[in-house]
Amino acid sequence: MESSRTLLDILIAASGLTLAAATPFLFAALGELFAQRSGVLNLGVEGIMLMGAFTSVFVISDKGFNAHPAVGLLVAMLVGALMGLMMAFVSVTLQAEQGISGIGLTLFGQGMSTLLFRVLAAGVIVAGGVEKIDLPVLSNLPVLGSIFFHQDILTYAAFALVPISVWVLNRTTWGLQVRAVGQNPQAADSMGVNVARVRYSAVILGGVLAGVAGASLSMALTGVFQENMTAGRGFIAVALVYFGGWSPWKVMAGALLFSAANNLQIWVQVLDVRVAGAAIPPNLLIMLPYVLTIVVLIFARERQRREPAALTKPFERGEN
Amino acid sequence: MVRKTFLLIAIISVLVGAVSLVSAQEPLIESVCLVTDVGKVNDGTFNQFAFEGMDAAASDFDLESTYIETTAPTDYAPNIQRCIDSEYGAIITVGFLLQDATLAAAEANPDVYFIGVDQGYEMAPENLVGVQFREDQSGFLAGALAAQMSESGVIAGVYGIPVPAVVKFQNGYEQGAKYINPDIDARSVFIQSFTDPAQGAEAAEQLIAEGADVIFGAGGQTGSGAIQRAATDEVYAIGVDQDEYFSTFGGGESPGAEYLISSAMKRVDQGVYLSIEALVEGDMEAFGGGGNRVLSAENDGVTFAPAHDSDVPEEVTATMEEILAGLKDGTIETGVDPVTGELLDMEMMPTEEASG
Repeated sequence: MESSRTLLDILIAASGLTLAAATPFLFAALGELFAQRSGVLNLGVEGIMLMGAFTSVFVISDKGFNAHPAVGLLVAMLVGALMGLMMAFVSVTLQAEQGISGIGLTLFGQGMSTLLFRVLAAGVIVAGGVEKIDLPVLSNLPVLGSIFFHQDILTYAAFALVPISVWVLNRTTWGLQVRAVGQNPQAADSMGVNVARVRYSAVILGGVLAGVAGASLSMALTGVFQENMTAGRGFIAVALVYFGGWSPWKVMAGALLFSAANNLQIWVQVLDVRVAGAAIPPNLLIMLPYVLTIVVLIFARERQRREPAALTKPFERGEN
Repeated sequence: MVRKTFLLIAIISVLVGAVSLVSAQEPLIESVCLVTDVGKVNDGTFNQFAFEGMDAAASDFDLESTYIETTAPTDYAPNIQRCIDSEYGAIITVGFLLQDATLAAAEANPDVYFIGVDQGYEMAPENLVGVQFREDQSGFLAGALAAQMSESGVIAGVYGIPVPAVVKFQNGYEQGAKYINPDIDARSVFIQSFTDPAQGAEAAEQLIAEGADVIFGAGGQTGSGAIQRAATDEVYAIGVDQDEYFSTFGGGESPGAEYLISSAMKRVDQGVYLSIEALVEGDMEAFGGGGNRVLSAENDGVTFAPAHDSDVPEEVTATMEEILAGLKDGTIETGVDPVTGELLDMEMMPTEEASG
């Protein structure tokens, strides 16, 4: 049976879904970007996302408190802030090896969210979730309206966060301090910047955004929680920060590319696209997002790396 | 005459009784030990169903039993060894991924019996049996139901990684749908993970946008994500492995439970139970050591779950019972290779006429 929809309809639907799927990547990656620009590699994003995903959908479900989704979001932000605080304490105050402590945080989040899910929710949560909002006027635009302006509020917020992040990093005192402590903490310290405090705030902000990323996955994208439902998105978010060369705009491009490749793979199967009358083997299609990512990475190789010089290096006053 | 007949029956009964006394076998085992795949015995996956089968057999046959929950694939062999060291009579290993460790342990310990769930053996020692399932039959039932419930003529399945068990479900589903309606448009989407409900939901949404009005989810949590999205969007959904009405839909408490029309069931508990029973009865032939025990419609190893709160009409359920009976007695064949899951020769495709 031929599809009753035109190619344009399909493209519009696919593009809209790509933006929605990019939302958790964007939140998590932008949060990680702030942490890394301050010099802290937080590999705990995956664990924070899981805790945000569980707590938000739990409080809004009838197994929790039937709370408004806004409350769910706030709870996810709070949980993210607390886990960010844990990461900051271990990596900044205790100066522990960052890669290891981040993995520890991820394992903690995986175990804790699974435990709470089973104990508090008996292994099943389904909640109404977050409604899509048509932006006035804009959503009536032909084509563009359906793609860009028929999304849930978290997707709008995620994309709005990109220019905001650029502005904060480049135009505010705090942003300048974040970049300074990530690049040359000794110099920043001698200028009177409290390195530890700036790193704490950047890592906690990263935790808050990772919590929101998890909430967007559970409350907005699926309306359910499942054990380990982030399925590696937290680690992909960390990779997107490197991929995007620590620039919010490029991180956004990476998030869109990855979601689009994933989406394309699903669409080829949904539409039952055939080559010379034969279905394309699903194993080939499943590889597509990864192959595309590798190809893009190869072509993006010469791009100047702007890795923060003090990334993963703990700071101790007077060590030089 | 009547008295003579009675006498004859009495004599025969005594003789039969004596013979069965003589041939009554000693139980081969008195204890069982289960090693899960990564997961737990209450995690809602085959780990749990295998455990339930063992638990039922242990209480029915008064066996000592225990289990070890595996936390990492590197622990497969050590966990099996712990069961052996504790001198359990039979060891159940759950999952295809434990196949190599199970085979090695069975070869090294010929006095211990091994039951490998979702494992298949070509050359195995007599003390080891693989327990396999005809997922294609289960999928066939799901497809037949989907085709009967569909109004648009477009049905779909959301699957995990295309391993043989998943491909069997998929091809069985499409064959079952074609059995009801040869012109049915059956779409399928494979996702590269068994644990990604968000992508499953996204695929379901896209398939629904394409006109699919029944979604079959066969891929762990990815599939569950797909059927949850379908059900909350008021589109018919079909679960897999166990009756997802009780797991994914919380016994009817979760939104959309009235759109779950069935689940393509795979009775892992039954497979484990029957294997233990054979060992307790000392029946090596029934145990099937050295090969595989195949759980099919014929031995109630695969079936379809009841409609619960959904609006499946009685005549549809009646047709489903007929198809199940046909799969049981072999008058209906799925047309799917029961090992690889690939479609068999197109000539053998079942049609309404052929099955009469």
